[in-house]
Amino acid sequence: MKGVLLSGGTGSRLRPITHTGPKQLVPVANKPVIEYAIEDLKAADITEIGVVLGNTGREEIQRLLGDGSKYGVDITYIVQGNPLGLAHAVGCAREFVGDSDFAVYLGDNMLRHGVSDLLESFQAGEYGAGIALQEVSNPEAFGVADVDDQGRVTHLVEKPDDPPSNLALIGMYVFTPAVFDVIDRLEPSWRGELEITDAIQMLLDEGHAIDSHVVTGWWKDTGKPEDILEANRLVLEGKDLVREGTVESGAQVEGQVEIAESAVVEDGAVVRGPVSIGENAAIKGGTYVGPYTSIGADSTLEEVHIENSVVIGESTITANGRIVDSLLGRGANVESADRLLPEGRRLVVGENSQLKL
Amino acid sequence: MRIITHACPACGTVVSANELEDKRVIKCPGLSCQEVLRFEDLSEEAREHFLANRDRYQM
Repeated sequence: MKGVLLSGGTGSRLRPITHTGPKQLVPVANKPVIEYAIEDLKAADITEIGVVLGNTGREEIQRLLGDGSKYGVDITYIVQGNPLGLAHAVGCAREFVGDSDFAVYLGDNMLRHGVSDLLESFQAGEYGAGIALQEVSNPEAFGVADVDDQGRVTHLVEKPDDPPSNLALIGMYVFTPAVFDVIDRLEPSWRGELEITDAIQMLLDEGHAIDSHVVTGWWKDTGKPEDILEANRLVLEGKDLVREGTVESGAQVEGQVEIAESAVVEDGAVVRGPVSIGENAAIKGGTYVGPYTSIGADSTLEEVHIENSVVIGESTITANGRIVDSLLGRGANVESADRLLPEGRRLVVGENSQLKL
Repeated sequence: MRIITHACPACGTVVSANELEDKRVIKCPGLSCQEVLRFEDLSEEAREHFLANRDRYQM
């Protein structure tokens, strides 16, 4: 079994964060989202991984993942170029996959329990493909599967007005090489893309059995800022957080708090977990870091109260105020304007930024 | 839709035909690879198919 990790897309819903980097590298609990996918594939004994790159962030993703050896996997890069759809991205992996079955993982998705159960379910029968499903309350917003008593898919429909079930397709699939012949015969959809749901439906129409696996733990598509915050909360809640850094006397650190080795929580600071604090971060006196917050590497916080937020890294945050439910990009600084005249907020805000003052 | 790709002979990075056709001559997108890739590296048959259906490979 090989793995194909789809890492294209423009990340438009995550702007301005994605003006300067691919969405797959946005950190959740101080680890880039794409690393969770690599680890899930490795945990499922998949060590040959093809990483499909789009038009943005190619070099950054290659720089992070390298040849895969630091994760114990072997990575081949596949350049899709134009975003012509998930089925096109999968089709670009044909040469890499060869005659092997393969798992497809969307590089900006996260699964609580990984992909091992999906792969085991697929391998237990003679299937043309396997899909991961999750029960949702708004199936009309997703691709939806109709499934029989044995878990075999009988019908797929994209964003239906009248959903046949509440089982939505999430971004995890398993295929045999038979899918490539189907993709060869696919026509672009109304939006000009080769749709993966059309490929699976064609496999179904041509007599291939399609397995399904209903995911019970959480699943997150991290495409929007609020999704990053939610994923950060979910990961911090379930992770064993290790304190390796310095906690000065006079600092209060309560609950599950991860402190990187070179980070310091200084006298007079209060940290209430679950929280992750990255390398070389300094939490100075008068600062409160509240639950579900990740402070990225090389950041300095002073006098601020922050909670349920992600600071990606290299930030200086010294404003004497409360920051909640926020995502701060790399190098973003938030400082006090208290002693400046004329009074007022001073902003240097990039395109597509969102502020609530 | 037929998907045409070409693997860099030096580093193994796979590049789609639309990427090759768009720039015609490119440095391999593999991070530390210095190989030069050309649309002409594809077989004549593959190139003809791509060019005959070029609009379908664009957004």
